[in-house]
Amino acid sequence: MKKRGRGMACMYYPLGFTSYPNPSAAFAKYNPDGSATVLTGAQDIGQGSGTVLAQIAADTLGIPYDRISLIYGDTQAVPMDAGSVASRVTYIAGNAVKKACEQAKSILLDVAADMLGVLPHGLDVADGWVYLKDFPEKRVAIADVAKTAEVGRGRPAQGHGTYNPATTLLDKETGHGKPYEAFVYAAQVAEVEVDTETGEVEVLKIYAVHDCGKAINPMMVEGQIEGGIAMGIGYGLTENLVIEKGHVLNPQLANYIVPTALDVPPIESAIVEIPEPKGPFGAKGIGEPSLLPTAPAILNAIYDAVGVRIRDLPATPEKILAELEKLEKEKAK
Amino acid sequence: MTEASTHHIRFTLNGSEVSADVKANDTLLNVLREQLGYTGTKRGCETGECGACTVLVDGKAVNACLILAPKVDGRAIQTIEGLAKGAELHPLQKAFIEEGALQCGFCGPGMLMSAKALLDEIPNPTEDQVRRGISGNICRCTGYAKIVKAIMKASRQMARVGGEGA
Ligand code: FES
Ligand code: FES
Repeated sequence: MKKRGRGMACMYYPLGFTSYPNPSAAFAKYNPDGSATVLTGAQDIGQGSGTVLAQIAADTLGIPYDRISLIYGDTQAVPMDAGSVASRVTYIAGNAVKKACEQAKSILLDVAADMLGVLPHGLDVADGWVYLKDFPEKRVAIADVAKTAEVGRGRPAQGHGTYNPATTLLDKETGHGKPYEAFVYAAQVAEVEVDTETGEVEVLKIYAVHDCGKAINPMMVEGQIEGGIAMGIGYGLTENLVIEKGHVLNPQLANYIVPTALDVPPIESAIVEIPEPKGPFGAKGIGEPSLLPTAPAILNAIYDAVGVRIRDLPATPEKILAELEKLEKEKAK
Repeated sequence: MTEASTHHIRFTLNGSEVSADVKANDTLLNVLREQLGYTGTKRGCETGECGACTVLVDGKAVNACLILAPKVDGRAIQTIEGLAKGAELHPLQKAFIEEGALQCGFCGPGMLMSAKALLDEIPNPTEDQVRRGISGNICRCTGYAKIVKAIMKASRQMARVGGEGA
């Protein structure tokens, strides 16, 4: 018989390393043609950090996104970064890029103020222009200011920034301390169908709600959530690394089962944007957190469907059948 | 063991005639990547499990890592390099970009070729047919949602333009 059930799981997850320094650094400069170059040590591994960091730079520098050239990938040439790990890149590298851009911008505004005969704090940047906040019609092209800054004033409009979350070591006695600067929160619901004869579980639908601070690129946040859920389904139901005496016994995709397009159900996701005061534009992160609630939500859904608790991942048909049998025996007593 | 024999083969690659001297035990994947320099086709598992090496042989999606090169003599091969028409991207490629269907992108070339084979056969697939059509292509990043969406979108667009993009 096939039985359906629904389960939920919630989580919170910290960004960055636990109690240890994990800085990011960045460099930014306006170019005389009105474009900008930004160097970051953060590596885009497909999650889209390059896009997000360029968006942060574009907004901070006041120039269009497509005029940012973001350079990364060569550790000999770019500033230091602790790595594309710990769901830290948007938050920490994003802050470093923002600081670098702010420094470049403050030089740009100084020079522009001089050119326009006003005070720098009355100025801001947008869409390739430096403009007077109270009278936006009074403006000068960023390209002209950047050129003047370099060849007229001898003060290139460039800057660098580093960011390292403020943490403390944990007290060994009490466990108190501040291991992380920011946390994200999420909840997921899984709907499953369990075949009581074969023990097979089909995931019918996943609902996911994630707080990631301000979503700098909502489409990519959604992509991270969907990818994480697929990984979470594998973690919950099929992926089982067998290691014996240091050897992986199932090093192939034929025996280490990763979900295919047929195993991942429709996903409905929603983003909760609660701005993080210290995040760049209020952003936090989304990488790892996307997959954490999936497996426990599935296990709860299995319990809801057939009344057995699987406590050992993955929840294979064999384990579910064994538990169902136990349940039957107990009932018969 | 004796040295594998060498074979002279000719086939069309993305519409152009090519020829190559291949060993009897060379795979099509190896010949494409190493001999002809077509590195768009990815080498993943090399055991027919991941789909990263998917190319079209006479219009059918196959794993290039499982086909011996001498077998493609006289046949028509399409790879990811032939999907765009010059600078004009294929509707599938455009839809993948618009929908954010790629993250690391490693599955992309194989995914796109499987999708092309599917749409050539079933121009208006259901979501389930799309999922079935790409079920031999593993993606570790996207959870497939945006890939499925992109393929559905491309199929609608191609229907609108009417038979273009073959
Ligand atoms: S490389 Fe051919 S299927 Fe994986
Ligand atoms: S985008 Fe990375 S494997 Fe599909």
